[in-house]
Amino acid sequence: MRAPFRLVFEQRSETPKYLAAVVPIASVVAALFIGVIFLFATGYSPWETYSNMFQDGFASSTGITDTLGMSTVLICTAVAAAFAFQMNLYNIGGEGQLYMGMLASTWAGLALGPHLPTFVMIPVVMIIGALAGALWILIPAYVRSRLGTSEIVTTLLLTYVAANFINHYIYTSGSYFRAPNTMFPQGRLVADSARLDPFGTTNLYPTFFFVVLLALFLYWLVKKTEYGYKIQVISDSPRAAKYAGINANRTTLSVMLISGALAGLGGAMLIVGPVGRLDPGITALGYGYAGIVIAALARNNFSAIIVSGILFAGLRTGGEKLQISTDTPIHIGVMLQGAILLFALGGEAFRRYRIKTIRTKVVAQ
Amino acid sequence: MNDNIWILAIANSVTLATTLMFGSLGALFTERAGVLNLGVEGVLLSSAISSFLAADASGSVWVGLAVGAIVGALLTCIHAGLAVILRANQIVSGLALVIFGTGLANFLGKPAEGKDVVTKLKPITFGPLTDIPILGPVLFKHDIITYLAIALAIGASWYLFRSRPGLELRATGDDPATVDAQGLSVANIRIRYTVFGGLLMGLGGSWLMLAQSAAWHQSATTNGIGWIALALVVFAGWRPMRLIFGAVLFGFTLQLPFTLQAEQIDAISADYTKMLPYVATLVALVALSRPSRVNALGAPRALGTPFVRDER
Amino acid sequence: MSSTSHEVAQGPHHSGGAAPSALSAHSIVKRFPGVLANDNVNFDINAGEVHTLLGENGAGKSTLAAMLCGLYQPDSGYILRNGERISLPSPRAGLQHGIAMVHQHFKLVERFSVAENVVLGSRDLNFRIDRNTIDEKVAAVAESYGLPIDPTAVVGELSVGQRQRVEIVKALYQGAEILLLDEPTAVLVPAEVEKLFENVRAMTAAGKSIVFISHKLGEVVEISDRVTVLRNGQVTGHVTGKGSANTKELAKLMVGRDIDLAPQRASHPIGHEILQIRDVSLTLNGVDVLSNISFNVHAGEMVGIAGVAGNGQRELADTIAGLISPTSGSVSIGGAMSTDKGPIHARELGLAYVPEDRLGVGLVPSMSILDNLLLTRDRDFVVDRASLQPEASRLIDQYEIKANGPEHVARKLSGGNAQKVLLARELSGGRTATKLLVVCSPTRGLDVGAIETVRRVLDDARSAGQAILLISEDLDEILSLSDRVFVIYRGAIVHETPGETADLATVGAAMAGLSSTTSEGHN
Repeated sequence: MRAPFRLVFEQRSETPKYLAAVVPIASVVAALFIGVIFLFATGYSPWETYSNMFQDGFASSTGITDTLGMSTVLICTAVAAAFAFQMNLYNIGGEGQLYMGMLASTWAGLALGPHLPTFVMIPVVMIIGALAGALWILIPAYVRSRLGTSEIVTTLLLTYVAANFINHYIYTSGSYFRAPNTMFPQGRLVADSARLDPFGTTNLYPTFFFVVLLALFLYWLVKKTEYGYKIQVISDSPRAAKYAGINANRTTLSVMLISGALAGLGGAMLIVGPVGRLDPGITALGYGYAGIVIAALARNNFSAIIVSGILFAGLRTGGEKLQISTDTPIHIGVMLQGAILLFALGGEAFRRYRIKTIRTKVVAQ
Repeated sequence: MNDNIWILAIANSVTLATTLMFGSLGALFTERAGVLNLGVEGVLLSSAISSFLAADASGSVWVGLAVGAIVGALLTCIHAGLAVILRANQIVSGLALVIFGTGLANFLGKPAEGKDVVTKLKPITFGPLTDIPILGPVLFKHDIITYLAIALAIGASWYLFRSRPGLELRATGDDPATVDAQGLSVANIRIRYTVFGGLLMGLGGSWLMLAQSAAWHQSATTNGIGWIALALVVFAGWRPMRLIFGAVLFGFTLQLPFTLQAEQIDAISADYTKMLPYVATLVALVALSRPSRVNALGAPRALGTPFVRDER
Repeated sequence: MSSTSHEVAQGPHHSGGAAPSALSAHSIVKRFPGVLANDNVNFDINAGEVHTLLGENGAGKSTLAAMLCGLYQPDSGYILRNGERISLPSPRAGLQHGIAMVHQHFKLVERFSVAENVVLGSRDLNFRIDRNTIDEKVAAVAESYGLPIDPTAVVGELSVGQRQRVEIVKALYQGAEILLLDEPTAVLVPAEVEKLFENVRAMTAAGKSIVFISHKLGEVVEISDRVTVLRNGQVTGHVTGKGSANTKELAKLMVGRDIDLAPQRASHPIGHEILQIRDVSLTLNGVDVLSNISFNVHAGEMVGIAGVAGNGQRELADTIAGLISPTSGSVSIGGAMSTDKGPIHARELGLAYVPEDRLGVGLVPSMSILDNLLLTRDRDFVVDRASLQPEASRLIDQYEIKANGPEHVARKLSGGNAQKVLLARELSGGRTATKLLVVCSPTRGLDVGAIETVRRVLDDARSAGQAILLISEDLDEILSLSDRVFVIYRGAIVHETPGETADLATVGAAMAGLSSTTSEGHN
């Protein structure tokens, strides 16, 4: 049995420039439309939900600063994912690396904070967070570069291990990280010297500008330097890299460690910024997973990540406030993220191929 | 400590292996066709909550299982469409499915929060067989779906290696161009098995919810079992019979914290024993990727690569 | 032969007049984006006949064959089978009409047994597969055409010639009356070619029709009853009658002009030793890939290494290039040891290496020409692309590379232009002036124009005093360019002869491992 028509994929020799912008925007719109269906079916008003989300995410002054504040960690986890993606490596354990970065920088803030001044503490906390993130990816990175073990499942499995560590340190009574004498388990606040001040009364911290610069630096690193050149060669054709005497194992290892460090840095930014303590709620927020979506939506372009990161932060802040004000499930936000990514992936096909439907014709009349 | 705890542990391993078997059998069929579906975790979660809601509303565990399986198939349709028809990156598509499925499950699960699973699947009793020491609890104290999982794995093995469609399925995963040259539709075969795989995963998620869980715990309901199932396929070398063995093995690591807790053994913090399944899976994956093992494993050669007929 | 008595449309070049052709194609037009692949092409074949479709790469012969077997559909035109109009929407439909294609790149599942491969996709297969039954059936079909084959053997472990036989058996098993063989001799050594021809004779005697698709003028033409020549999608000529084809005339029909692929030898006195290989042996994963290889290549000399793929030549080239460390023995370039020191060191000693795979090894497909020039050169931490621009433009002009400029992406280059970029980079020297050039299959898959250019570039490099090691499966190429010829078989040099006096039959036999005496004393 044959369908009356079939799809024909014609490889585009040149991708029209406008599609680079149209595809992500259309993906967001299409995902919002899917959201309408689900909201409607479950008895919420889609229009009210979205207008509130937009209001709280972008269209008010606190909304904007909240969004930019939220985007800080998201951009960080997104560049972590995108950096590994540059070499076709899939670090999908950014979530766990972020936990470990948070854990280590909390330790630094608690243990070293009282003894060191702010201008020393901030870099120290961030470096320790980054190192912890790198450490958390060390085993997947090592076995990937030496044995070729797929990093996809290994990095992800370690996220579950990391989550158990976080829970352990928060819920165990007498834990170093736990605030004493509280009814509900709660993390202990790090020393003031390990924290930055926000701008005025907003939730926006200077770390936002740091991650923007970081994203631009990574862009330069990949596009303009010899290290980036090697990454491009290896990602495109490992055999060409070998031919040219480029050590792919070492580069693989370093790229993954840097990716892990960037995710860990995201955890540290939560400590020096808005959170300041080990927070059990972190495992429900999925910053690491969101980073993957943001990176994919930006097609792993570091400067585009800044834009898509802010967009996503808006969706999230809007969604969170919605949860508080109207009791719409916050999870609509996560679902939308997944839907956006699915649509963006589908849209990729339109960038690569000109898709036509043709009637199945029979040669003989 | 006594003998009972070990018998209990092994019996629980067989029980917990059920979801793993469904999840990884689903992934195995998908991967044998050359499609990589990393979305297992998302599919498990969505089908789990769907089965809960359906069973709760209808009062029938069977309706729950059926709805869960259908939701699993529907969700993987998205992946099949993206990966096979639109030739998208299968890894990213699978991840998107995890994220979407998790969000969807938590969104749908809002009304289920705080409710107990009332409509539950009950174990079958085999009368005197169940009372046989050791063998009784290990083999004859499970519900029908657990036996179905084992039967499916055995059937899958026969289907793959002894039937015409099985031959075509294996060929599609290994060398789609050859299948295409024979005039068989690669896309058709791939979509079919990907969606069938989703159906199995959906059944696994529903079983986990309706036979094993006390209540809906959001993402913690499956807690990464989908990822372990994916690793299990590698562990089993893409062979269904080995998968039964592997599932029981990994099932052991999954049930350990609960069995220890039930027996009030707390020499090691439960937070650490809960890490065991993930660490064990990681170790297994690393051990299997020694170069000498890789070829013997038999991963489908075209796994994860979209098929494009070479048109100049 | 053809038993049908329908009196319908006649093929345009129908020989008999009474019975219709077994298969004929009329006024076939097929367009691909930007290319008119078949422009009003007519073709026909009778039962029991061998008809060769001759043409260069890209002439449209594979496209025509693909339409004859149902892989593509023509944009216009029609196809007759025994005089009746048929439509071929898929390869399966082609098989139903008894038309099967044996692809150049075999469509076989390597992990499957011979029998499993043969029955795959077969319509009369039961749901349940019984190994013994299919083994017997396959063996019986193979036997009946005089093509003995072990049905239980795993295809991945068979030689190329044996795999080709599996493909043919598969087509016959599925009831093929008309077999389209795409470049069937390209991968075979002369002895295997003989065997193939025997099989072809057996099949035509049984009433089967064979369409050869080839870009080579040699043997295939000899056993053809008819030859149709294609160029740029159009039929440019026909020759009827076995053995009556004039090679020179056919070449002109193929290319559209006179071509000169006359042998070229060193015209200058040969200089001192540049490459010295001493007792090189290599064992990979317990398999002896190279054993005791010793030879030298001198300045201004081209040494050819002939051999069937998979006999260690790739590893030999990689060893010389420093990509593999030999298990024992040594390699030196320009008098300095290069063993175990890696590819960058080898290049510093004056090595240039054009690997067999242009895109994917020699060139990075997604990168521009400019970035590809950087691949084997020294790079600063901040890559300086601007200063390389003028040189890139100059090389594009000098090598007549058809590209939009240095930013042209390698993937979008034609095979010939990609090879020119590769040669341009390797010969223009990066770290040091080139002393030794190792080239593998430099003209494979190129059209005649590009082949001429590549040969000229290699000859020029030789005249300029560079030592050249040419590794190729193309025996004609080896024999017409090399000053000395070695044959490699199972990792050992089994034959040596001067290029000028080399004899095709002897070298071919050595390639197949049939040389009785391993020649002594290579220097």
